[in-house]
Amino acid sequence: MRTIRQIHEALEKKKISVVELTRDYLNSAQKSKNGEYITFCEERALQQAQEADDLLRLEKKVPWAQKPLFGIPIGLKDNLTLDGVRTTCGSKILDHYIPPYTASAVERLESAGAVILGKLNMDEFGMGGSNENSAFGPVGHPTHSDRVPGGSSGGSAAAVRANLCVASLGSDTGGSIRLPASYCGVVGIKPTYGRISRYGLIAFASSLDQIGPLARTVEDAARLLDVLSGYDPLDSTSSNIPPLQAYLASQSVPHWNRLRFGLPQEYFSGGLSLEIEKSIQNAMQWLESQGAQLVPLSLPSSQYAVAVYYLIAACEASSNLARMDGVRFGVRSQEAAETTDLTEFYQKIRSDFGREVKRRIILGTFALSLGYSDAYYKKACQVRRKIKLDFDLAFQKVDFIIGPVSSTTAYRRGEKAIDPLKMYLNDIFTVPANLAGLPAMSLPCGEDQEGLPIGLHLLAPPFCEEQMISVAQAFSKRGEGSVRGF
Amino acid sequence: MIELNEKLTCQVAHLARLELTPLEVKVFTIQLNEIIQYVEKLQDVDVQGVVPLVHPFDGIAFLREDDIKESLLGLDGKPKILQSAQDIFEDSFKVPSIF
Repeated sequence: MRTIRQIHEALEKKKISVVELTRDYLNSAQKSKNGEYITFCEERALQQAQEADDLLRLEKKVPWAQKPLFGIPIGLKDNLTLDGVRTTCGSKILDHYIPPYTASAVERLESAGAVILGKLNMDEFGMGGSNENSAFGPVGHPTHSDRVPGGSSGGSAAAVRANLCVASLGSDTGGSIRLPASYCGVVGIKPTYGRISRYGLIAFASSLDQIGPLARTVEDAARLLDVLSGYDPLDSTSSNIPPLQAYLASQSVPHWNRLRFGLPQEYFSGGLSLEIEKSIQNAMQWLESQGAQLVPLSLPSSQYAVAVYYLIAACEASSNLARMDGVRFGVRSQEAAETTDLTEFYQKIRSDFGREVKRRIILGTFALSLGYSDAYYKKACQVRRKIKLDFDLAFQKVDFIIGPVSSTTAYRRGEKAIDPLKMYLNDIFTVPANLAGLPAMSLPCGEDQEGLPIGLHLLAPPFCEEQMISVAQAFSKRGEGSVRGF
Repeated sequence: MIELNEKLTCQVAHLARLELTPLEVKVFTIQLNEIIQYVEKLQDVDVQGVVPLVHPFDGIAFLREDDIKESLLGLDGKPKILQSAQDIFEDSFKVPSIF
């Protein structure tokens, strides 16, 4: 009983109550030694579960049309605000922060009947790809203890894989949903920029951040997407278009012989582990066997994506994190409280940032400073447009782009922790989608010899999540015989 | 190519109101130089006439009416926004004097 459909069936057959289900998940999560959660909201969760049971007793069946996530235990990355519940962003600087409001995406989950179990561990402010940069300790890989779960939504991916929630929310600024989803073997979706309101998502890089779901199945992720999507007047970048019907799309068979999948030559040239290459090739063969057309193409500017990304993300972060000044929220140490000098006051407060955050704030401040901003920030934004134009051209020829999520499977703990540039280069396949605002997802497509999961990367044109979900669902059901195309 | 030295690292850190330990200054200067050296590859790209892209869908913003709404109040009747502040005076945030 691990998917939404299975849970709803069990609830209707009275095999379990929502309170029992919630307790089960909370117990497992609280016992885990892998550090997936930072904070639990047990009382709140049990209250929500009790209300769901009361409703179920009254209605006699799961009100799935009004509440598609009825009674479903869900975890939230700890950069999403929840009224009255500690929200840390994985940072010591927000150790005691209790937000006075709930993120719009979370409100939508709760309105759809979800039970929020707690807040999931993450790299501090989303900065990292291994979940080793959290002030609350690292997250362990759910199946291989010597490996990292990926980041920055490491807690969100590991918790889903380890059955410590049915689904979770993460955020993806440069791959932070897709990379851990790939490393942990779950489904992770970064929707189109603007598809889901960012109101209440504590900003890292505002032009790149996007909230998205992680789940065990495409179908479950699609159900979350439907609930999360839609215009929100509280976020001026949320698109004013109708919510998705991704679940419906997941139940439809793709018209394979009309679909063209682009294979960027840059994604397959050098550096890719042989086992990952083989898995992706198998996926391509399967797509071709369904009748889809494979189209080699080039994204020539993608070689600059990591450089562009790390400049733009650092610049935006240096600006966004200026609000961490200890005045309205945040920890104020004794030293800071005693000083009468405002500059020193800010410095004492901000000394609570972790090293990766400090490094990126310095890089961003430097790249935005007088005399350097044209050479770095402006130049990066110009190359960003070239990267986006490459995708615009590509999507005139193909319906989707496929490739790897990462050049390796989950690497060993500590392997890249002391070399920031090495860590950054690991994002080579994921950052382009954020720079261009595209929807993209990681889909389990195999394992390496050590049993570590491999993710297939699927990218679609802006606002084409439904088509992407339809293909992903068919792919995930390959071998079951029920979704062979025509 | 621009090279960061320890003095410049300290200057930039000061602008960002970050206090670094001597070890952080040393390590960050080396690491940031490696990163800057890497991003230098952008200087090879011909961007003549290319308009910078600062937002994925530039020029599109969905603005709401600028309506005034009541502040969120906590159970104590005070604005909820004050509840995470470490030091407040009546309904205000308290900071060290700037004079």
